[in-house]
Amino acid sequence: MSIVPEFLLKRVYQKGSLTQTAEGVCFKLKNVLGPGFISGFSFIKINEEVFEAQKVKFLTQGTEIEAQDVNEEHPIGFRLGQEGTLILKGANCLKEGINQIIIELMNPEAGKVKLTLTDNFQAA
Amino acid sequence: MDITYDKNSLIVNGKRVFIKSGAFHYFRTPGVELAKNRFKKLKSAGYNAVDIYFNWGYHSPQKGIYDFDGLKDVRKILQTAKDTGLFVIARPGPFINAEISAGGLPLWLLKEKDVVPRNRINSTYHYSPKYMEYIKEWYDHIIPIIKEFDNVILFQIENEYSTDEMDETYLKELYQMARDRGITCPIFHNDAFNAGLWADVVDIYGSDIYPYINPNQNWKQDNFCFDTLDNYEDMVRMSKEDAPPFIVEMQCGWFDKWDGIGYKAMREVFGKEHINIMTKTAISQGVTLFNHYMAVGGTSWNNLACDEVYTSYEFTAGIDEYGSIKENFRKSKEINYFLNSFDLTNTGNRTNIEFGENMYAVTREDYTNNCEWLFIRNMNTETKDISFDSYNVNIKPFDMKICPKNLDLYTCKILFSDAEIFARIKDENKEIIFVFQDKNANLNIEFNGQKETISANKKDFENKKYEKDNKLTEFVFISREISDKTWIIDDKVIFNADYVYPNGRIAISENSEIAYFDIKNGFSKTNLKFEGKKELIELKDFEINFCAPELDYDYNYSTWDKLPKDTYDSLGIEKYEEFIFYKTQIPNNLEEITLSARHLFSVYINGKEIINRNSYKYEKLQQVTETISIQLNKEILNKDKNELTILVQNIGFDKGFSGETNTPRGLVEFNTTPKIDLTFYAREKFAFERNDKRESTCPYIARLSKTFKREQQEGHFTKPLYLSMKDFPYDRATIFINGIKIGRYLKNINNISLQEDFYLPEPFLKEENQIDIIIWEKDSHIKTAWDFKNDLKNVIIQVGDKEVHQIY
Repeated sequence: MSIVPEFLLKRVYQKGSLTQTAEGVCFKLKNVLGPGFISGFSFIKINEEVFEAQKVKFLTQGTEIEAQDVNEEHPIGFRLGQEGTLILKGANCLKEGINQIIIELMNPEAGKVKLTLTDNFQAA
Repeated sequence: MDITYDKNSLIVNGKRVFIKSGAFHYFRTPGVELAKNRFKKLKSAGYNAVDIYFNWGYHSPQKGIYDFDGLKDVRKILQTAKDTGLFVIARPGPFINAEISAGGLPLWLLKEKDVVPRNRINSTYHYSPKYMEYIKEWYDHIIPIIKEFDNVILFQIENEYSTDEMDETYLKELYQMARDRGITCPIFHNDAFNAGLWADVVDIYGSDIYPYINPNQNWKQDNFCFDTLDNYEDMVRMSKEDAPPFIVEMQCGWFDKWDGIGYKAMREVFGKEHINIMTKTAISQGVTLFNHYMAVGGTSWNNLACDEVYTSYEFTAGIDEYGSIKENFRKSKEINYFLNSFDLTNTGNRTNIEFGENMYAVTREDYTNNCEWLFIRNMNTETKDISFDSYNVNIKPFDMKICPKNLDLYTCKILFSDAEIFARIKDENKEIIFVFQDKNANLNIEFNGQKETISANKKDFENKKYEKDNKLTEFVFISREISDKTWIIDDKVIFNADYVYPNGRIAISENSEIAYFDIKNGFSKTNLKFEGKKELIELKDFEINFCAPELDYDYNYSTWDKLPKDTYDSLGIEKYEEFIFYKTQIPNNLEEITLSARHLFSVYINGKEIINRNSYKYEKLQQVTETISIQLNKEILNKDKNELTILVQNIGFDKGFSGETNTPRGLVEFNTTPKIDLTFYAREKFAFERNDKRESTCPYIARLSKTFKREQQEGHFTKPLYLSMKDFPYDRATIFINGIKIGRYLKNINNISLQEDFYLPEPFLKEENQIDIIIWEKDSHIKTAWDFKNDLKNVIIQVGDKEVHQIY
């Protein structure tokens, strides 16, 4: 069992934020749980497609962070109430309607933190 | 006692009360005398409540057995709290966590048919009627005792509970069970996630606040760790509007682990600055019930500890496990005295103020004192001067202040002060306000319509008086150093004492000039002579014997318990002790054995060690399991009937916070190649614990024994005793005093033991005491049994007084 129950972890994902942009697939996170650190982005899976850290970047507080640069030696602070956008670079994997999403992050205290959820996507 | 509440505070017999509580584990601080000592210290430091976990497993070692006698007499503990004038926050679980083996659930319960501990498997809810039946049994034993004491003001159900489904049935039933058994005070739960969990099930919502749980980081750099606390009031109000914000566990420190950094290093992290920020920020958020966790450190003697922690549960508490007071205790005292001087139970209208980066500031209106308080914190590395309502506020790095604004006193008004108030004592006509010296801070006073600024840059006991209409207000300036040794007992102030008991008795550790002050009599002084002697006894020339005859070839184990087929683990075979011996016969054609054991184990064949392994490993809060395969050959299996002995050390069950309490211990898996059926026999504990003192021919387990006497000194002294294992040359040892297991010495992966000093609790001591140290050595470290015995003769252990106080 994760140190934080999954139903609480899911609150970090901003429902309805799943979009397709020229840069790739994007969605938003907001830390509503409590202050902490992200010490790695293990992978993100959308439907059947897996995106390793090198294909992911994180935009938060006006800074663009390459996910592969985040590790135990270089964690990023994620404050209570802080928002961020995850961008899956060059991705084009969304389908109309419900999409399955798995996000696996690392936390210095808790280790793997995995969110499994769905979000709706409607093409413009 | 009539206990109600509104959104601001608890109301006891119609009067608002600010609850200032400290956590205390009676099972880790054994016996009523230690409880008395610790409770008195809490009371003298201005605490008015003690938080007590009741540990189900401690009282119920076997199914159907409940023990509340002797050291386990919780009536005496509760009576002591009452006699000391402390309220009690009762937390009887059933699950308590507390870094206790199985989180306080009885070990026999974990294997009961149809019982699902905590009604959950992993994070999934599984309601277990059988589990609920056993909880009724526990509540039927513990609640009648708790109910005898009207100083119990709050009652907790479960602890830090969640499931994915968040089904409320379990918590609702616990609530009703408590009510059905006569609990009339408010009931609460402790939410570990500050997410409003179970707020609708209980009367008062409460939660943990542990901003900083990774000692490898630095809270001064990562100061956003206080974000949750900084938003506590709004968070609580979203969940519960009609009850006061309650921090059930307010961080005073953290537990150290086998692979941790040691409590000495932890103390540098969790000092007075941390507790100052924690407590004052909480007050700024409208918190009127807090519980410092831990306020009193303890000792995980016998099998109390869960597998994560070593013997000392020091927790960097204000009062350490020896009963010594620390700097965070003195800081708590300072804040408690302030809260005892000014009633802050009815405040509101919090306003956040922006003072720039890394600053936190809020004001609160105080409807009792008709004033406003500014709470200001500086998390920058340099001192800040801030302008607040045209007044200057000077605040040092990592400091937090509570500053009064428009506070009416008997003769004058404090318009604003960034010099903090230590305490106020008063009678009907006179009030003395003790103010901290601060060379950069000022008191801004209005007296007879005139404004005056008084610098707090004063010498000790310099004063400033205002008299009007036969009333007196006197400001007396004192330094923080003076305040550390200043105690206020019933409006009497005692200066320069190490500590003071609520009855006014004074503890000193050197010749001391003690000053007294009260409104009626003013100052007086007395000189107290310290006549204590700190003793250190060197124990050497131990009696040595190899004390595990179970390892010997041809040892008769026919009377041991025969194990069911393929069942080895401690729950399955109902052996919950730390050490379990397993024995069986194996044929000489075995090629391999494969086993998994928790946590440390050795395999012996025909009395010869084959492997000695530490299987204890934690990564990212999860236990890592390992399975070991051992190749056998004719040199090992050198007899017709080969005897296999496995010794396993279980250093505790999972505490059950995020893991499972019933994760197996002992020999967890065992297989052979080729696969054959073996009949295992098992027995727990070392032979000497059963008074079997036969010498073994196998040298791997050695017992060092020695007796020592304590010299009694005339007069009244407190002298907590410790045993030092400094420079101990061996990796693993288990320490007994007068037959009671009081410590596990274990070098970690870095070849150091984070604990070298072990508390010898007074209730376990006699006039003449026997120390037994069991050493479990690896074959590779033993040249010959004779050499090993000779080496053991060189062991020197010290036993000494941790501190000495003379009590007047």
